[in-house]
Amino acid sequence: MEKQTITIGLPRALLYYRYYALWRTFFQELGMEVAVSGPTDRDILERGTALAIDEACLSLKIYLGHVAALVGRCDYILVPRVSNFGRHRSMCTRFESTPDLVRSVFRNSGQEFLSYEVDEEQKKDEAAAFLELGRALGRSPKDVRRAYKLAKKAQAAHYKARVQKYEQQYRRSGLKVLIAAHSYVIEDPYMGRPVTDYLKRVGVIPLRADMVDRDGALKHSRELSSTCKWEISREILGGIAMHRGDVDGVILLSAFPCGPDAMVNELIARRVKGVPMLNLVLDSQSGTAGVETRLESFIDIIRFQEGKL
Amino acid sequence: MEHAYLGVDVGSISTKGVIIDKKNNVLASQYIWTQGDPIGAVKELVRLLEGQFDKDRYQIVATGTTGSARKLVGVILGATMVKNEITAHAVGTTTFYPDVRTILEIGGQDSKIILVENGVAVDYAMNTLCAAGTGAFLSSQAKRLGIEVEEIGDYALRSTHPTPIAARCTVFAESDLVHKIQMGHPREDIIAGVCNAVAANYLNNVGKGKKIVSPVVFQGGVSKNKGVVAAFERALGCPVIVDPNGHLMGALGVAILARRGSGRQNFDFAVENMEFRTREAGCGGCSNNCEIICVYRGSELIDAWGNRCERGARTH
Repeated sequence: MEKQTITIGLPRALLYYRYYALWRTFFQELGMEVAVSGPTDRDILERGTALAIDEACLSLKIYLGHVAALVGRCDYILVPRVSNFGRHRSMCTRFESTPDLVRSVFRNSGQEFLSYEVDEEQKKDEAAAFLELGRALGRSPKDVRRAYKLAKKAQAAHYKARVQKYEQQYRRSGLKVLIAAHSYVIEDPYMGRPVTDYLKRVGVIPLRADMVDRDGALKHSRELSSTCKWEISREILGGIAMHRGDVDGVILLSAFPCGPDAMVNELIARRVKGVPMLNLVLDSQSGTAGVETRLESFIDIIRFQEGKL
Repeated sequence: MEHAYLGVDVGSISTKGVIIDKKNNVLASQYIWTQGDPIGAVKELVRLLEGQFDKDRYQIVATGTTGSARKLVGVILGATMVKNEITAHAVGTTTFYPDVRTILEIGGQDSKIILVENGVAVDYAMNTLCAAGTGAFLSSQAKRLGIEVEEIGDYALRSTHPTPIAARCTVFAESDLVHKIQMGHPREDIIAGVCNAVAANYLNNVGKGKKIVSPVVFQGGVSKNKGVVAAFERALGCPVIVDPNGHLMGALGVAILARRGSGRQNFDFAVENMEFRTREAGCGGCSNNCEIICVYRGSELIDAWGNRCERGARTH
């Protein structure tokens, strides 16, 4: 008897923006379907806010809203635990706690969740985690290894293409602003997208500190901090170190209240001098007026300096 | 006819307007309270400016608006330049004080710091979306103490022992203040303490990490408060310049920007007699439920905004 196709739900938030090519390819190569929640909108934010404790960051509130949107629509929802990739390569504790947190919040929903654990300080690497994940879904080790290999390839190719696209942008003429933000903040249609949309509308080229060669970024991050332990923050620091000379301004874009950003953005503000910088903290206001005032004046200041206003 | 330029700055608390000639001389100026009605305030402002203005000699050929209601008022006045307050203040201040290095600005809801080098704004910071330590805080504390907000400065200067008041957050400052009142601290000492708290809050938040270099110009509605000026001078150890037209700098700046801009539109004082109203229309096109603001002149929709996408575009 043939088994029905298994559907894996992927919440379109947090690590989705980092890993979607990997996840999608892996599950599809194993003959499964993936269901992705829709783009963030006010409904998702409100549902997530109601499910989260008040102190949770905006990104986590949005994540819970996306999980809620998938509940009942798939066999499993993927909620990984990604702790670290080794020493000084930690993820925010959010990514350590999400599986437990999600299981607890949705304990009465009847929904099943799927997880894998990356904790290289405890000798659990991603390849081993995916092998375990595939086997738990009833696939043979051989199939799982093959699917993981293809998924890694797809992920690398996808990321490389994106980095190349951004590298080309640096060669364009025009005002360029480097945005330092987590991918799940800047790519989210409700949080960061209005910022990049606004910049494009006023003729500014938005660039991304995290869209650089990751190995290079980790090395260059030491120019700004030799002790920063957060992987994504180090990629951002490295991206700034690599590109600060190529841009007219830097925007530190953060979702309230982000722990790593609270510290790292302060560090950036103190150590990166000689380039105009705007610190923009997003919260769940429905209007964009405050954000637009700050962006508009920031761009004016840059144009002032260049004598173009 | 000589050309003239109108600049209007509609903040949350006050509405300011100036008319300048092409050499930046002030031909008319006015400062009134917004009182939660930016449209009513701006119509009243236009009426008052008209009374001071020589319409036979000058024609207003460009209009600029700034302040938190700049968009709404820009539509009503047919503005040729709509600019944020930071840019407007920087332009206004550097025009009148070419040597200025630091601009402190505290308004009703916003506070900002602008650092200037060689007449060009090089860095700035603005309060986060929290309105702690702004004019709104002073107004509510004045009310609590039973005095007019305009009297705060005189009370503060009479104090010899300002009461220390927690300055980190307005909510804490308020409970601390209530406690000090009940403990029996004299009123002028408490008021001086409130002024110190405003200055300390500003320097610890907006001014954090910024190098404040003299000459320092202080403006915005709160600069009219002598108690806060004295508190800044004590904290910074340098004189703080308050221009008699300091409250008009945003309006002056945006009038200058309108003059420099390319847009031209003769201004008609008839707007003071027109009927304008706004309506909030929930979009309902998707679950974002954008709050769309529609502005009407009479029964005609003249502009609308607030939609995140085309589904929320309103044309009638």
